[in-house]
Amino acid sequence: MAKITNKSWLTFEGGRQNEPCLWKMATRFPGVTFDIRQASVQKDIGIMAVLFEGEEDEVKAAHEFLKEQGVRVDPVEGGSNVAG
Amino acid sequence: MSYVKSLQCKECQSEYELKPLTVCDNDFGPLEVAYDYEAMKGKVTRESIEAGPRSLWRYKDLLPIEGEPKAGLNSGFTPFIKADRLAAELGVKELYIKDDSANYPSYSYKDRVVAVALTKAIEFDFDTVGCASTGNLAHSVAAHAAAAGLRACVMIPHDLEEGKIVATLSFGPRMFKIKGNYDDVNRLCSQIADKYNWAIVNVNLRPYYTEGAKTHGFEIAEQMGWRLPKHTVSPVAGGTILPKIWKAYQEFITLGIVEDNKPKIYGAQADGCNPVVTALREDQELFHPQKPNTIAKSIAIGNPADGYYVIKVIKESGGFGESASDQEILDAVKLLGRTQGIFTEPAGGTTLACAIKLIQSGRIPRDESICVCITGNGLKTVEVMQGQFAANPTINAKMSEFDELVKQMEETHPSQSPATTA
Repeated sequence: MAKITNKSWLTFEGGRQNEPCLWKMATRFPGVTFDIRQASVQKDIGIMAVLFEGEEDEVKAAHEFLKEQGVRVDPVEGGSNVAG
Repeated sequence: MSYVKSLQCKECQSEYELKPLTVCDNDFGPLEVAYDYEAMKGKVTRESIEAGPRSLWRYKDLLPIEGEPKAGLNSGFTPFIKADRLAAELGVKELYIKDDSANYPSYSYKDRVVAVALTKAIEFDFDTVGCASTGNLAHSVAAHAAAAGLRACVMIPHDLEEGKIVATLSFGPRMFKIKGNYDDVNRLCSQIADKYNWAIVNVNLRPYYTEGAKTHGFEIAEQMGWRLPKHTVSPVAGGTILPKIWKAYQEFITLGIVEDNKPKIYGAQADGCNPVVTALREDQELFHPQKPNTIAKSIAIGNPADGYYVIKVIKESGGFGESASDQEILDAVKLLGRTQGIFTEPAGGTTLACAIKLIQSGRIPRDESICVCITGNGLKTVEVMQGQFAANPTINAKMSEFDELVKQMEETHPSQSPATTA
């Protein structure tokens, strides 16, 4: 399985913005690195631009884990046009 | 001569070459076309624009193309109507309709963005173009691609209005109907753009595509006699047109082409899909994505790509947002038809319904100039109007039956009955 990079928007709503969802993901999937490139948090919503890197199946599983935690995961449009 | 400088990140201002790029490497912020306004001064003028063709390409100097336009040569320069009968009905002094329901070739504002995007697609040597669409964009991409000799692959939600599907298929594209709503289609298109070497106009050509929407704003200013309306009401779907109307106004002000009258801009959405309006009402900068449920399908985008910038621009201008129920939308469609002879789709009804609510609430003063942006044509969505009009009885070809109907009409609609004597 090849290593990939993935650029995603994460949206935290319904109280998820107050939970350490990314920390939980990191402890569950230590082979997946993440780099927060941009973030904005308000009272009841938070949005993050995150670069993920790791084995393709692990990155996919990490995304599924985040979704199970109630985090919305959207691909960055045209994400492959940039380096990485 | 092109005045385009580079692509620039809207967040961190990092600059990029003019390629099919969409997002910034650093923060994934959207890229936008940057121009050399200093070089334009004294060269891009009212006179230079008026000397151009009667199409959106008269604003070529303010669009991101390198050579001559290669698509949409007859798009744009749509009617701008002083809507006195509608103004009288609403009790306002100066009301205008910018009518892109008459745009060429596909009867919506999308012909503007597609004209620019397909010109860029040809400049970048793509042979296949596509889009994620709520209907109007697919229609426009298919039409322009047919005329330009490009292959078109359009992706739409499976439950679109039949009129839009048939009209689009008539141009011979490959159509992919996707189970789900627009946001699901758009998500898939992001992945398609990553995998296939296609020009997905609203994904990997987005920085260029969106610039075409400025021409709606340029035309408003020019057709109003080189001045800006004090209040502009625009629909909000993916969030392309509203910030670009604003950019158009600001570019004309920067170049000294119009006076800065401190214009305000307002966003219109349907109650069944109003993430941006909700954020404005709650004085938030971020919006919560929604699952759309409205008859205004062409603006049913629950997670608008540029929603954040719509909120930013509206707040910067001092405008606001409003949303309308499905029945208010249908009533506004009928009102526009009855007073001005313009048949718009529910998106246009939404914009007018919201303008009315903004006027009634006092957000828009009745004695200042107002422009309502109508972006699509009702002929493509006739099914939503079913049952909205009184039944018209069928009669035999006999004068007595006709006389009886005229008599009934005089009783129920006296102002609309024709003279009964020769």
